[in-house]
Amino acid sequence: MLRSILIYGLINSIILALTAIGFSLTYGISRVANFAHGALYVLAGFAAWVLFYRLGLNYYLALFLAVVMVALIGAALYRFALIRVRGMPISEIIVTFALGTALLELLRFFGLFGSNYGLPPLRRATLQLSGVPVDFQRVAVVVIGVVLIAALWLFTHYTKVGLAFRAIAQDEQAAMMVGIDPDRMATLSLGLGSALAAIAAVVLLPLGYIAAESGTNILVYAIAVCILGGLESPAGVIVASLLIGYAQILSVAYFGPHYQMIVALLAILVTLVFRPSGLFGRQKELEERV
Amino acid sequence: MLEVRDLMVFYENGLAINGVSLAVERGELVGVLGSNGAGKSTLMYTISGIILDRKLKEERRGGERITVFGEIVHRGEEITGLKASMRVRRGIVLCPERRRVFPESSVLENLKIGAYLRDRSEQREMLEYTWRLFPNLHRLRSRAAGFLSGGEQQMLAIGRALMAKPELLLLDEPLLGLAPAVQLKVIEAIRNIRELGITVLVADQYARPLLPIIDRGYVLESGSITLTGSGAELRENPDVRAAYFGV
Repeated sequence: MLRSILIYGLINSIILALTAIGFSLTYGISRVANFAHGALYVLAGFAAWVLFYRLGLNYYLALFLAVVMVALIGAALYRFALIRVRGMPISEIIVTFALGTALLELLRFFGLFGSNYGLPPLRRATLQLSGVPVDFQRVAVVVIGVVLIAALWLFTHYTKVGLAFRAIAQDEQAAMMVGIDPDRMATLSLGLGSALAAIAAVVLLPLGYIAAESGTNILVYAIAVCILGGLESPAGVIVASLLIGYAQILSVAYFGPHYQMIVALLAILVTLVFRPSGLFGRQKELEERV
Repeated sequence: MLEVRDLMVFYENGLAINGVSLAVERGELVGVLGSNGAGKSTLMYTISGIILDRKLKEERRGGERITVFGEIVHRGEEITGLKASMRVRRGIVLCPERRRVFPESSVLENLKIGAYLRDRSEQREMLEYTWRLFPNLHRLRSRAAGFLSGGEQQMLAIGRALMAKPELLLLDEPLLGLAPAVQLKVIEAIRNIRELGITVLVADQYARPLLPIIDRGYVLESGSITLTGSGAELRENPDVRAAYFGV
Protein backbone atom coordinates (compact mmCIF):
# COMPACT_ATOMS: atom_id res chain seq x y z
CA MET A 1 0.00 0.00 0.00
CA LEU A 2 2.67 2.49 1.05
CA ARG A 3 4.82 1.56 -1.91
CA SER A 4 2.01 2.03 -4.39
CA ILE A 5 1.09 5.36 -2.79
CA LEU A 6 4.69 6.50 -3.18
CA ILE A 7 4.92 5.37 -6.80
CA TYR A 8 1.47 6.49 -7.93
CA GLY A 9 1.87 9.73 -6.00
CA LEU A 10 5.01 10.48 -7.97
CA ILE A 11 3.31 9.60 -11.25
CA ASN A 12 0.35 11.77 -10.38
CA SER A 13 2.66 14.65 -9.40
CA ILE A 14 4.45 14.49 -12.72
CA ILE A 15 1.10 14.42 -14.50
CA LEU A 16 0.12 17.60 -12.64
CA ALA A 17 3.45 19.24 -13.39
CA LEU A 18 3.04 18.44 -17.09
CA THR A 19 -0.45 19.87 -16.98
CA ALA A 20 0.60 23.08 -15.28
CA ILE A 21 4.02 23.88 -16.70
CA GLY A 22 2.73 25.48 -19.91
CA PHE A 23 0.26 27.67 -18.04
CA SER A 24 2.95 28.74 -15.58
CA LEU A 25 5.53 29.45 -18.28
CA THR A 26 3.20 31.62 -20.32
CA TYR A 27 2.12 33.55 -17.26
CA GLY A 28 5.67 33.94 -16.02
CA ILE A 29 6.89 35.47 -19.25
CA SER A 30 4.00 37.47 -20.59
CA ARG A 31 1.72 37.81 -17.53
CA VAL A 32 -1.10 36.39 -19.63
CA ALA A 33 -3.22 33.88 -17.71
CA ASN A 34 -4.15 31.58 -20.57
CA PHE A 35 -7.60 30.29 -19.68
CA ALA A 36 -7.73 28.52 -23.04
CA HIS A 37 -5.03 26.17 -21.69
CA GLY A 38 -7.44 23.30 -21.11
CA ALA A 39 -9.13 23.75 -24.48
CA LEU A 40 -5.77 23.69 -26.26
CA TYR A 41 -4.96 20.49 -24.35
CA VAL A 42 -8.12 18.78 -25.58
CA LEU A 43 -7.64 20.17 -29.07
CA ALA A 44 -4.15 18.66 -29.21
CA GLY A 45 -5.58 15.26 -28.30
CA PHE A 46 -8.31 15.56 -30.89
CA ALA A 47 -5.85 16.71 -33.56
CA ALA A 48 -3.60 13.75 -32.83
CA TRP A 49 -6.62 11.44 -33.04
CA VAL A 50 -7.66 12.83 -36.44
CA LEU A 51 -4.12 12.70 -37.81
CA PHE A 52 -3.60 9.13 -36.62
CA TYR A 53 -6.97 7.44 -37.17
CA ARG A 54 -8.46 9.49 -39.99
CA LEU A 55 -5.39 10.45 -42.01
CA GLY A 56 -3.49 7.32 -41.16
CA LEU A 57 -0.20 9.02 -40.30
CA ASN A 58 2.55 7.38 -38.30
CA TYR A 59 1.64 7.64 -34.59
CA TYR A 60 4.71 9.61 -33.54
CA LEU A 61 4.38 11.92 -36.52
CA ALA A 62 0.72 12.50 -35.66
CA LEU A 63 1.62 13.43 -32.08
CA PHE A 64 4.39 15.73 -33.26
CA LEU A 65 2.17 17.50 -35.80
CA ALA A 66 -0.58 17.93 -33.19
CA VAL A 67 1.90 19.64 -30.87
CA VAL A 68 3.17 21.94 -33.62
CA MET A 69 -0.36 22.80 -34.69
CA VAL A 70 -1.49 23.72 -31.19
CA ALA A 71 1.69 25.76 -30.65
CA LEU A 72 0.86 27.79 -33.75
CA ILE A 73 -2.72 28.25 -32.61
CA GLY A 74 -1.47 29.48 -29.23
CA ALA A 75 0.87 31.96 -30.89
CA ALA A 76 -1.94 33.12 -33.17
CA LEU A 77 -4.14 33.58 -30.11
CA TYR A 78 -1.73 36.25 -28.91
CA ARG A 79 -0.89 37.72 -32.30
CA PHE A 80 -4.46 38.27 -33.41
CA ALA A 81 -6.57 38.51 -30.27
CA LEU A 82 -4.66 39.16 -27.06
CA ILE A 83 -2.41 41.82 -28.56
CA ARG A 84 -5.38 44.17 -28.69
CA VAL A 85 -6.15 43.91 -24.99
CA ARG A 86 -2.57 43.65 -23.72
CA GLY A 87 -2.07 45.10 -20.28
CA MET A 88 -5.72 44.71 -19.29
CA PRO A 89 -5.66 41.50 -17.22
CA ILE A 90 -9.44 41.11 -16.92
CA SER A 91 -9.88 41.46 -20.67
CA GLU A 92 -7.06 39.00 -21.28
CA ILE A 93 -8.80 36.45 -19.10
CA ILE A 94 -12.15 37.09 -20.78
CA VAL A 95 -10.62 36.66 -24.24
CA THR A 96 -8.79 33.43 -23.45
CA PHE A 97 -11.66 32.00 -21.40
CA ALA A 98 -14.21 32.83 -24.12
CA LEU A 99 -12.11 31.36 -26.91
CA GLY A 100 -11.33 28.31 -24.79
CA THR A 101 -14.97 27.71 -23.95
CA ALA A 102 -16.03 28.23 -27.57
CA LEU A 103 -13.43 25.71 -28.71
CA LEU A 104 -14.44 23.12 -26.12
CA GLU A 105 -18.14 23.49 -26.93
CA LEU A 106 -17.37 23.20 -30.62
CA LEU A 107 -15.48 19.96 -29.97
CA ARG A 108 -18.35 18.72 -27.80
CA PHE A 109 -20.74 19.56 -30.62
CA PHE A 110 -18.71 17.25 -32.85
CA GLY A 111 -19.17 14.45 -30.36
CA LEU A 112 -16.03 14.78 -28.29
CA PHE A 113 -17.46 13.69 -24.95
CA GLY A 114 -17.68 10.55 -22.87
CA SER A 115 -15.51 7.70 -24.03
CA ASN A 116 -15.92 7.96 -27.79
CA TYR A 117 -12.34 8.97 -28.57
CA GLY A 118 -9.06 7.74 -27.25
CA LEU A 119 -5.39 7.57 -28.16
CA PRO A 120 -3.45 4.31 -27.94
CA PRO A 121 -0.61 4.10 -25.40
CA LEU A 122 2.96 4.18 -26.67
CA ARG A 123 3.25 0.51 -25.78
CA ARG A 124 0.92 -1.94 -24.12
CA ALA A 125 2.97 -3.40 -21.34
CA THR A 126 3.06 -3.54 -17.57
CA LEU A 127 6.20 -3.18 -15.53
CA GLN A 128 6.81 -4.21 -11.95
CA LEU A 129 8.38 -1.40 -9.90
CA SER A 130 9.46 -2.95 -6.59
CA GLY A 131 6.40 -5.14 -6.63
CA VAL A 132 3.94 -2.48 -7.77
CA PRO A 133 2.50 -2.99 -11.25
CA VAL A 134 2.75 0.14 -13.40
CA ASP A 135 1.78 0.31 -17.06
CA PHE A 136 4.34 1.40 -19.60
CA GLN A 137 2.55 4.66 -20.47
CA ARG A 138 2.76 5.91 -16.87
CA VAL A 139 6.47 5.18 -16.77
CA ALA A 140 6.82 7.05 -20.05
CA VAL A 141 4.92 10.00 -18.53
CA VAL A 142 7.41 10.20 -15.68
CA VAL A 143 10.41 10.00 -18.00
CA ILE A 144 9.00 12.52 -20.46
CA GLY A 145 8.00 14.86 -17.64
CA VAL A 146 11.45 14.84 -16.07
CA VAL A 147 13.21 15.24 -19.43
CA LEU A 148 10.89 18.09 -20.41
CA ILE A 149 11.47 20.00 -17.19
CA ALA A 150 15.24 19.56 -17.53
CA ALA A 151 15.06 20.70 -21.16
CA LEU A 152 13.10 23.78 -20.19
CA TRP A 153 15.66 24.65 -17.53
CA LEU A 154 18.48 24.37 -20.06
CA PHE A 155 16.48 26.37 -22.58
CA THR A 156 15.84 29.27 -20.21
CA HIS A 157 19.46 29.36 -19.01
CA TYR A 158 21.53 28.78 -22.11
CA THR A 159 19.70 30.02 -25.19
CA LYS A 160 19.26 33.57 -26.36
CA VAL A 161 15.46 33.40 -26.45
CA GLY A 162 15.37 31.60 -23.10
CA LEU A 163 17.49 34.29 -21.46
CA ALA A 164 15.27 36.95 -23.03
CA PHE A 165 12.24 35.14 -21.60
CA ARG A 166 13.67 35.38 -18.12
CA ALA A 167 14.70 38.99 -18.68
CA ILE A 168 11.24 40.04 -19.71
CA ALA A 169 9.73 38.16 -16.78
CA GLN A 170 11.89 40.19 -14.39
CA ASP A 171 11.64 43.67 -15.86
CA GLU A 172 9.78 44.17 -19.11
CA GLN A 173 10.94 47.72 -19.78
CA ALA A 174 14.57 46.98 -18.99
CA ALA A 175 14.34 44.12 -21.49
CA MET A 176 12.93 46.50 -24.09
CA MET A 177 15.96 48.74 -23.55
CA VAL A 178 18.26 46.09 -24.99
CA GLY A 179 16.00 45.48 -27.96
CA ILE A 180 13.74 42.67 -26.78
CA ASP A 181 10.29 43.11 -28.28
CA PRO A 182 7.64 42.24 -25.66
CA ASP A 183 4.98 41.37 -28.23
CA ARG A 184 7.30 38.94 -29.97
CA MET A 185 8.23 37.37 -26.65
CA ALA A 186 4.58 37.11 -25.60
CA THR A 187 3.72 35.45 -28.93
CA LEU A 188 6.53 32.97 -28.41
CA SER A 189 5.53 32.37 -24.80
CA LEU A 190 1.93 31.63 -25.77
CA GLY A 191 3.22 29.33 -28.50
CA LEU A 192 5.57 27.51 -26.15
CA GLY A 193 2.98 27.33 -23.36
CA SER A 194 0.46 25.85 -25.79
CA ALA A 195 3.03 23.41 -27.11
CA LEU A 196 3.60 22.25 -23.52
CA ALA A 197 -0.15 21.82 -23.04
CA ALA A 198 -0.19 19.78 -26.25
CA ILE A 199 2.74 17.61 -25.17
CA ALA A 200 0.96 16.98 -21.88
CA ALA A 201 -2.15 16.01 -23.85
CA VAL A 202 -0.49 13.55 -26.18
CA VAL A 203 1.33 11.75 -23.38
CA LEU A 204 -1.50 11.86 -20.83
CA LEU A 205 -4.60 11.24 -22.95
CA PRO A 206 -3.71 7.60 -23.71
CA LEU A 207 -4.35 7.06 -19.97
CA GLY A 208 -8.00 8.03 -20.44
CA TYR A 209 -10.33 9.40 -23.08
CA ILE A 210 -10.26 12.57 -25.17
CA ALA A 211 -13.31 14.46 -23.97
CA ALA A 212 -14.28 18.13 -23.91
CA GLU A 213 -14.99 18.04 -20.19
CA SER A 214 -11.40 17.19 -19.35
CA GLY A 215 -10.46 20.63 -20.70
CA THR A 216 -12.05 22.27 -17.67
CA ASN A 217 -10.46 19.80 -15.25
CA ILE A 218 -7.04 20.36 -16.74
CA LEU A 219 -7.45 24.12 -16.43
CA VAL A 220 -8.47 23.83 -12.77
CA TYR A 221 -5.55 21.51 -12.00
CA ALA A 222 -3.10 23.83 -13.76
CA ILE A 223 -4.42 26.84 -11.87
CA ALA A 224 -4.35 24.97 -8.56
CA VAL A 225 -0.70 24.02 -9.05
CA CYS A 226 0.26 27.52 -10.17
CA ILE A 227 -1.54 29.25 -7.31
CA LEU A 228 -0.08 26.96 -4.67
CA GLY A 229 3.41 27.16 -6.16
CA GLY A 230 3.38 30.87 -6.89
CA LEU A 231 2.11 31.97 -10.29
CA GLU A 232 5.32 32.52 -12.19
CA SER A 233 7.72 30.23 -10.38
CA PRO A 234 9.07 27.10 -12.14
CA ALA A 235 10.29 25.68 -8.82
CA GLY A 236 6.85 26.37 -7.39
CA VAL A 237 5.25 24.26 -10.12
CA ILE A 238 7.38 21.28 -9.15
CA VAL A 239 6.85 21.59 -5.40
CA ALA A 240 3.13 22.30 -5.72
CA SER A 241 2.71 19.36 -8.12
CA LEU A 242 4.30 17.05 -5.58
CA LEU A 243 2.13 18.39 -2.73
CA ILE A 244 -1.15 18.25 -4.62
CA GLY A 245 -0.12 15.07 -6.44
CA TYR A 246 0.49 13.11 -3.25
CA ALA A 247 -2.50 14.70 -1.48
CA GLN A 248 -4.72 13.53 -4.35
CA ILE A 249 -3.39 9.98 -4.27
CA LEU A 250 -3.85 9.84 -0.50
CA SER A 251 -7.41 11.11 -0.86
CA VAL A 252 -8.05 8.50 -3.53
CA ALA A 253 -6.60 5.77 -1.36
CA TYR A 254 -8.57 6.65 1.75
CA PHE A 255 -11.75 8.41 0.56
CA GLY A 256 -12.37 7.60 -3.10
CA PRO A 257 -11.52 8.76 -6.60
CA HIS A 258 -13.93 11.71 -6.78
CA TYR A 259 -11.94 13.57 -4.10
CA GLN A 260 -9.16 14.48 -6.58
CA MET A 261 -10.87 17.65 -7.75
CA ILE A 262 -11.81 18.61 -4.20
CA VAL A 263 -8.16 18.40 -3.16
CA ALA A 264 -7.19 20.72 -6.04
CA LEU A 265 -9.90 23.22 -5.22
CA LEU A 266 -9.02 23.09 -1.52
CA ALA A 267 -5.40 23.82 -2.39
CA ILE A 268 -6.52 26.97 -4.23
CA LEU A 269 -8.73 28.04 -1.37
CA VAL A 270 -6.21 27.44 1.39
CA THR A 271 -3.39 29.15 -0.53
CA LEU A 272 -5.47 32.22 -1.29
CA VAL A 273 -6.49 32.55 2.35
CA PHE A 274 -3.11 31.99 3.99
CA ARG A 275 -0.46 32.85 1.43
CA PRO A 276 -2.00 34.55 -1.61
CA SER A 277 1.26 34.84 -3.57
CA GLY A 278 1.87 31.09 -3.26
CA LEU A 279 4.78 29.16 -1.81
CA PHE A 280 7.37 30.59 -4.18
CA GLY A 281 5.60 33.79 -5.19
CA ARG A 282 8.28 36.41 -5.61
CA GLN A 283 6.44 39.37 -6.97
CA LYS A 284 6.35 41.25 -3.68
CA GLU A 285 9.97 40.59 -3.01
CA LEU A 286 10.96 41.89 -6.45
CA GLU A 287 9.00 45.09 -6.00
CA GLU A 288 10.75 45.79 -2.74
CA ARG A 289 14.17 45.49 -4.29
CA VAL A 290 13.59 48.22 -6.88
CA MET B 1 23.39 62.04 -35.63
CA LEU B 2 20.54 62.66 -33.22
CA GLU B 3 18.34 65.70 -33.27
CA VAL B 4 15.48 66.47 -30.93
CA ARG B 5 13.20 69.20 -32.20
CA ASP B 6 10.69 71.13 -30.09
CA LEU B 7 9.96 68.18 -27.87
CA MET B 8 7.06 68.52 -25.45
CA VAL B 9 5.92 65.78 -23.10
CA PHE B 10 2.79 66.20 -21.00
CA TYR B 11 1.91 64.08 -18.05
CA GLU B 12 -1.52 64.49 -16.55
CA ASN B 13 -0.31 66.73 -13.77
CA GLY B 14 1.83 68.95 -15.92
CA LEU B 15 4.45 69.53 -18.52
CA ALA B 16 7.55 67.38 -18.09
CA ILE B 17 9.43 68.52 -21.19
CA ASN B 18 8.70 71.97 -22.54
CA GLY B 19 10.04 72.69 -26.00
CA VAL B 20 13.41 70.99 -25.80
CA SER B 21 15.63 71.03 -28.88
CA LEU B 22 19.04 69.49 -28.83
CA ALA B 23 21.52 67.85 -31.14
CA VAL B 24 24.23 65.26 -30.70
CA GLU B 25 26.91 64.79 -33.36
CA ARG B 26 28.71 61.54 -34.08
CA GLY B 27 31.52 60.87 -31.62
CA GLU B 28 30.47 63.54 -29.15
CA LEU B 29 30.06 63.20 -25.43
CA VAL B 30 27.15 65.43 -24.51
CA GLY B 31 25.77 66.07 -21.04
CA VAL B 32 22.32 67.04 -19.85
CA LEU B 33 22.52 68.63 -16.44
CA GLY B 34 19.48 69.03 -14.28
CA SER B 35 18.22 68.62 -10.76
CA ASN B 36 15.62 66.09 -9.62
CA GLY B 37 12.39 66.48 -11.56
CA ALA B 38 13.93 68.66 -14.26
CA GLY B 39 12.81 66.17 -16.93
CA LYS B 40 16.08 64.33 -17.59
CA SER B 41 14.60 60.87 -17.35
CA THR B 42 11.52 61.77 -19.35
CA LEU B 43 13.85 63.09 -22.05
CA MET B 44 15.85 59.85 -22.02
CA TYR B 45 12.74 57.68 -22.08
CA THR B 46 11.40 59.69 -24.98
CA ILE B 47 14.59 59.41 -27.03
CA SER B 48 14.81 55.67 -26.38
CA GLY B 49 11.12 55.07 -27.12
CA ILE B 50 10.28 53.55 -23.75
CA ILE B 51 7.77 56.33 -23.18
CA LEU B 52 5.61 54.97 -26.01
CA ASP B 53 5.23 51.70 -24.14
CA ARG B 54 4.39 53.50 -20.93
CA LYS B 55 1.88 55.68 -22.75
CA LEU B 56 0.14 52.64 -24.25
CA LYS B 57 0.02 50.83 -20.92
CA GLU B 58 -1.39 53.85 -19.12
CA GLU B 59 -4.04 54.24 -21.82
CA ARG B 60 -5.04 50.59 -21.54
CA ARG B 61 -5.23 50.81 -17.78
CA GLY B 62 -7.25 53.98 -17.96
CA GLY B 63 -4.41 55.63 -16.05
CA GLU B 64 -2.39 58.75 -16.67
CA ARG B 65 -2.62 60.40 -20.07
CA ILE B 66 0.78 61.01 -21.65
CA THR B 67 1.15 63.19 -24.72
CA VAL B 68 4.27 63.67 -26.81
CA PHE B 69 4.77 66.44 -29.36
CA GLY B 70 7.82 67.24 -31.44
CA GLU B 71 10.28 65.26 -33.48
CA ILE B 72 13.21 62.97 -32.86
CA VAL B 73 15.45 62.55 -35.88
CA HIS B 74 18.14 59.91 -36.05
CA ARG B 75 20.53 59.71 -39.02
CA GLY B 76 18.16 61.89 -41.01
CA GLU B 77 15.08 59.76 -40.36
CA GLU B 78 12.22 60.59 -38.08
CA ILE B 79 11.90 57.99 -35.35
CA THR B 80 9.40 59.68 -33.01
CA GLY B 81 6.87 56.85 -33.37
CA LEU B 82 9.31 53.97 -33.66
CA LYS B 83 9.10 51.35 -30.93
CA ALA B 84 11.94 50.91 -28.46
CA SER B 85 13.27 47.60 -29.81
CA MET B 86 13.58 49.09 -33.32
CA ARG B 87 15.56 52.00 -31.91
CA VAL B 88 17.97 49.56 -30.28
CA ARG B 89 18.33 47.94 -33.69
CA ARG B 90 19.33 51.37 -35.01
CA GLY B 91 21.95 51.64 -32.28
CA ILE B 92 20.19 53.85 -29.73
CA VAL B 93 20.58 52.11 -26.39
CA LEU B 94 19.47 53.38 -22.99
CA CYS B 95 21.14 52.57 -19.71
CA PRO B 96 18.30 53.56 -17.41
CA GLU B 97 18.21 55.41 -14.12
CA ARG B 98 18.26 53.18 -11.04
CA ARG B 99 20.17 50.66 -13.19
CA ARG B 100 17.33 48.13 -13.60
CA VAL B 101 19.60 45.09 -13.87
CA PHE B 102 17.83 41.71 -13.95
CA PRO B 103 18.23 40.80 -10.28
CA GLU B 104 17.70 37.05 -10.53
CA SER B 105 19.94 36.52 -13.52
CA SER B 106 23.69 36.25 -13.11
CA VAL B 107 26.10 38.98 -14.18
CA LEU B 108 27.07 36.99 -17.26
CA GLU B 109 23.42 36.32 -18.13
CA ASN B 110 22.62 40.01 -17.78
CA LEU B 111 25.36 40.81 -20.26
CA LYS B 112 24.26 38.07 -22.66
CA ILE B 113 20.73 39.44 -22.53
CA GLY B 114 22.19 42.82 -23.47
CA ALA B 115 23.51 41.26 -26.67
CA TYR B 116 20.06 39.90 -27.59
CA LEU B 117 20.04 41.59 -31.01
CA ARG B 118 23.68 40.93 -31.80
CA ASP B 119 25.27 37.84 -33.29
CA ARG B 120 27.75 35.54 -31.60
CA SER B 121 30.93 37.25 -32.75
CA GLU B 122 29.65 40.69 -31.82
CA GLN B 123 28.65 39.29 -28.43
CA ARG B 124 32.12 37.90 -27.86
CA GLU B 125 33.77 41.14 -28.93
CA MET B 126 31.63 43.32 -26.65
CA LEU B 127 31.94 40.86 -23.78
CA GLU B 128 35.72 41.06 -23.94
CA TYR B 129 35.54 44.83 -24.01
CA THR B 130 33.16 44.90 -21.03
CA TRP B 131 35.42 42.61 -18.98
CA ARG B 132 38.35 44.89 -19.76
CA LEU B 133 36.33 47.99 -18.86
CA PHE B 134 34.99 46.52 -15.59
CA PRO B 135 37.38 43.83 -14.40
CA ASN B 136 35.43 43.18 -11.19
CA LEU B 137 32.36 42.16 -13.14
CA HIS B 138 34.39 39.30 -14.54
CA ARG B 139 35.18 38.15 -11.03
CA LEU B 140 31.47 38.35 -10.11
CA ARG B 141 30.22 36.84 -13.37
CA SER B 142 28.21 34.00 -11.87
CA ARG B 143 26.67 36.00 -9.03
CA ALA B 144 23.00 37.02 -9.22
CA ALA B 145 22.86 40.70 -10.14
CA GLY B 146 20.50 41.43 -7.24
CA PHE B 147 23.33 40.69 -4.84
CA LEU B 148 25.78 43.23 -6.29
CA SER B 149 26.53 46.55 -4.66
CA GLY B 150 25.11 49.73 -6.13
CA GLY B 151 28.36 50.58 -7.91
CA GLU B 152 28.71 47.07 -9.32
CA GLN B 153 25.11 47.15 -10.50
CA GLN B 154 25.74 50.46 -12.24
CA MET B 155 28.74 49.01 -14.02
CA LEU B 156 26.68 45.98 -14.97
CA ALA B 157 23.91 48.21 -16.30
CA ILE B 158 26.43 50.12 -18.43
CA GLY B 159 28.00 46.83 -19.54
CA ARG B 160 24.60 45.44 -20.49
CA ALA B 161 23.88 48.51 -22.60
CA LEU B 162 27.30 48.18 -24.25
CA MET B 163 26.56 44.56 -25.13
CA ALA B 164 23.80 45.87 -27.39
CA LYS B 165 26.59 47.50 -29.41
CA PRO B 166 25.26 51.05 -29.27
CA GLU B 167 26.11 53.77 -31.72
CA LEU B 168 24.48 56.26 -29.39
CA LEU B 169 24.55 55.37 -25.71
CA LEU B 170 22.06 57.14 -23.46
CA LEU B 171 23.16 57.15 -19.83
CA ASP B 172 20.49 58.20 -17.37
CA GLU B 173 21.82 59.20 -13.94
CA PRO B 174 24.81 56.87 -13.96
CA LEU B 175 26.26 58.56 -10.88
CA LEU B 176 23.15 58.48 -8.71
CA GLY B 177 23.60 56.98 -5.28
CA LEU B 178 27.27 56.14 -5.71
CA ALA B 179 30.16 57.00 -3.42
CA PRO B 180 32.47 59.66 -4.90
CA ALA B 181 35.26 57.15 -5.51
CA VAL B 182 32.86 54.89 -7.41
CA GLN B 183 31.53 57.87 -9.33
CA LEU B 184 35.05 58.50 -10.57
CA LYS B 185 35.29 54.91 -11.79
CA VAL B 186 32.07 55.35 -13.75
CA ILE B 187 33.32 58.67 -15.16
CA GLU B 188 36.51 56.91 -16.23
CA ALA B 189 34.44 54.22 -17.93
CA ILE B 190 32.36 56.81 -19.78
CA ARG B 191 35.55 58.42 -21.06
CA ASN B 192 36.75 55.01 -22.18
CA ILE B 193 33.50 54.23 -23.98
CA ARG B 194 33.68 57.48 -25.86
CA GLU B 195 37.20 56.64 -26.99
CA LEU B 196 35.81 53.45 -28.49
CA GLY B 197 33.90 55.72 -30.88
CA ILE B 198 30.50 55.44 -29.22
CA THR B 199 28.52 58.67 -29.07
CA VAL B 200 27.29 59.31 -25.53
CA LEU B 201 24.46 61.41 -24.17
CA VAL B 202 24.59 61.45 -20.39
CA ALA B 203 22.03 63.00 -18.05
CA ASP B 204 22.90 63.59 -14.43
CA GLN B 205 22.73 66.02 -11.57
CA TYR B 206 26.35 65.67 -10.49
CA ALA B 207 28.01 68.53 -12.37
CA ARG B 208 31.32 68.36 -10.56
CA PRO B 209 32.57 65.01 -11.91
CA LEU B 210 30.64 65.27 -15.17
CA LEU B 211 31.47 68.71 -16.57
CA PRO B 212 35.22 68.08 -17.01
CA ILE B 213 34.67 65.17 -19.40
CA ILE B 214 31.83 66.37 -21.65
CA ASP B 215 32.30 68.18 -24.95
CA ARG B 216 29.08 70.10 -24.67
CA GLY B 217 26.28 70.32 -22.20
CA TYR B 218 22.71 71.44 -21.79
CA VAL B 219 21.21 72.62 -18.55
CA LEU B 220 17.65 71.45 -18.11
CA GLU B 221 15.37 73.24 -15.66
CA SER B 222 11.70 72.36 -15.19
CA GLY B 223 11.53 70.85 -18.65
CA SER B 224 13.29 73.59 -20.59
CA ILE B 225 16.87 74.09 -21.68
CA THR B 226 18.08 77.23 -20.01
CA LEU B 227 21.73 77.13 -20.87
CA THR B 228 24.05 75.44 -23.30
CA GLY B 229 27.76 75.51 -23.92
CA SER B 230 30.98 73.55 -23.78
CA GLY B 231 31.92 71.76 -20.60
CA ALA B 232 34.42 74.45 -19.71
CA GLU B 233 31.95 77.27 -20.40
CA LEU B 234 29.35 75.66 -18.18
CA ARG B 235 31.89 75.20 -15.43
CA GLU B 236 32.67 78.92 -15.48
CA ASN B 237 29.03 79.99 -15.65
CA PRO B 238 27.98 81.72 -12.40
CA ASP B 239 24.45 80.24 -12.46
CA VAL B 240 25.77 76.73 -12.87
CA ARG B 241 28.31 77.32 -10.14
CA ALA B 242 25.61 78.60 -7.83
CA ALA B 243 23.21 75.77 -8.56
CA TYR B 244 25.57 72.80 -8.83
CA PHE B 245 28.78 73.69 -7.02
CA GLY B 246 27.28 75.61 -4.15
CA VAL B 247 29.48 78.70 -4.62
